[in-house]
Amino acid sequence: MSHYKIIFTGPVGAGKTTAIDSISDVPPVKTDSSATDMTKSRKPSTTVAMDYGVMILEDGEKIHLYGTPGQERFDFMWDILVAGGIGLILLLDNTRPDPFKDMWFFLESFKHFIAETGVAIGVTQMDISHKPTIADYQTQLQISNLNPPVFAVDARVKDDVSLLVQSLLYSLDPGLME
Amino acid sequence: MTDHLKPLRLALHGMDSRHVTMLMLFLKGPCKGEAVVVNSPEDADANVFDADVPESLKLLTAHLKQELQKPAIVLTLQNFSLEQVLYVKKPVQTGDMLRVLNEAKKLASELAKKKEALDKLVPVSTAANDLFDFFNDELFHYLASSKWEDDPVPDLSDERQTIHTTNLSHHEDSIVFSQATLLSGSDSFAQESAAIEFSKQEEIDRKDEADEFNESQADNTGNSVPPSPISSESVLPVDGEVKESNQALNDSHEPNLKNYVIDLELSKTAKHQTAMRLDEKGFHERIAAIEEIDLKRPESSWNYNPKDYLQGYFQDALILSRRQNMPVMLQSAWQPITLLPRTQEVWLKADDSELSFFAGIKLKHKTIDSKISFTAVDPATMNLTVALDKFQTMEAFLWKLACWASKGRFPQAINVDQPVCLKYWPNFTRLLITPHALRIAALLIKGPRNMSNIARVLNIKPQYVYVFISAAYAVGLVSQAKRQSDLLVQPQATMSNKTQGLLARIMSKLRK
Repeated sequence: MSHYKIIFTGPVGAGKTTAIDSISDVPPVKTDSSATDMTKSRKPSTTVAMDYGVMILEDGEKIHLYGTPGQERFDFMWDILVAGGIGLILLLDNTRPDPFKDMWFFLESFKHFIAETGVAIGVTQMDISHKPTIADYQTQLQISNLNPPVFAVDARVKDDVSLLVQSLLYSLDPGLME
Repeated sequence: MTDHLKPLRLALHGMDSRHVTMLMLFLKGPCKGEAVVVNSPEDADANVFDADVPESLKLLTAHLKQELQKPAIVLTLQNFSLEQVLYVKKPVQTGDMLRVLNEAKKLASELAKKKEALDKLVPVSTAANDLFDFFNDELFHYLASSKWEDDPVPDLSDERQTIHTTNLSHHEDSIVFSQATLLSGSDSFAQESAAIEFSKQEEIDRKDEADEFNESQADNTGNSVPPSPISSESVLPVDGEVKESNQALNDSHEPNLKNYVIDLELSKTAKHQTAMRLDEKGFHERIAAIEEIDLKRPESSWNYNPKDYLQGYFQDALILSRRQNMPVMLQSAWQPITLLPRTQEVWLKADDSELSFFAGIKLKHKTIDSKISFTAVDPATMNLTVALDKFQTMEAFLWKLACWASKGRFPQAINVDQPVCLKYWPNFTRLLITPHALRIAALLIKGPRNMSNIARVLNIKPQYVYVFISAAYAVGLVSQAKRQSDLLVQPQATMSNKTQGLLARIMSKLRK
């Protein structure tokens, strides 16, 4: 059986673990640990290996949901993780000092995967910091002729995460029926 | 730091945002931080009232009926004498304020000791926690952008309300201020006393100015400030004049204020919750219930004029509020709608079902024009306590209005035979999602297409395309492809790939 997966990535604290939790059919496997470095200032614990969740389709097929560790020192894992992936969900934390920098870092890091598949971007914490706006992100992206979906997302809300993943799938094939 | 050296924490009661701002600036500047303003009376060392503001005076009267747990400071134009109440005569002088703050510190200390001795805890009402001022985002921006080279001069004199009333001549492309009642001495309002004619050309000029401003911002910050996705007929304004709140929050040395602003924003639940999604059945029940499409007529005539609906009046109000850079209240025979241009918010008491009904009614200009008025309101003089969950973003609000006005038709300004472009994906998690909207966006983002082509390729009814185009056009995300290069673009055929079956099954799972 094929091993289909959707990859969730983004900086520390962007909500990857929570987003996977929102749409996973099984309690996600978390590999959080107490943060001991720069991540400590943002959250008490952080993902040091990866998060894992599963969506079980009607026919029993499993879609694996992988969350990359947010810390850059684990980026050697990213290439391994994305192999065979359907697409990328990039989550960005709008309260971080320079979310655009974060966005470009991850888009660059996953550019080959994105070119082969697609990406949808979710911006979290917009209720706490509403700037940059979604329009600001889109303007940045258009500089590089990129037009992915960019949505405000509350990673705790299943509908938000679900819509983001749906937009990724429609980006891959608008012909998909509702 | 000893208690004596700590800044006195003040709770301000019944004051509007301007008073609050002035006091904050005054305390931080001339008073050298001897006192700070806090959000909650529970956290305060002393309570401050303005005897010349009716709401504040009312609260003071109620406050004085209780046993004083904390010092009360009263700002007043009149002489005032009451035991255990400290007063500062207006206009407030720095020396007077510092003296009173010092006295309040001593009194607060004595009262605290007395309270401790009595060992008697009296619960403090937290009602004030729920009383948020209408314009606190603007207050925050104002505070965050303040410079401190010069001590701000406090002006706590009684502010009179400044209201500009405008009557709209809806059939003309101009808005004329027929009345401008100027009660304030502020220069920024003085210019409004003259009649101002607002033409489309001026709108274009302003857009150019806004673009210029954005470019200069980009130069200064290194980040490009996005141009507004505004066409001459789509009116969501450029928000360039407001400082980046992120930066402002980070730079702010007012943690209480920062928390206050965050709490305030979190309370605006309607802005941050997932919007409604309509399937085909829901669309026909809730949007296209009033059938205005004559199916016997050619598709090219399935259009509507936004100006015949609330959408058009709202868009006019939006232009005006942007021009004034101040809140505008749109009043009609129905409930007033308040537009807040700097925070890109709309406040309306009514819920969506009421709004959808009114937004879907074709208005008779002869009747409604006389009842419509736009009132520009000075935020400094507005002192309203409002339900925070009634705030909506302008984009989401206008998107909805367009959906309800469209009812499955397209705007008159769009040529049905010409391709349309989608600037970027709408922020669907916060917008009303009409049937097949995500699919339409996914297809259209790949290149310009005409609406019939979209319907044909996706195998959907054209009404679903039209309603999406109407909403996206209203907020400036869709435009007619006019460049020759756009017309030459050959739309990519949507190809089913080998994983389409899998994607469809995932989609089915997600839609449950």
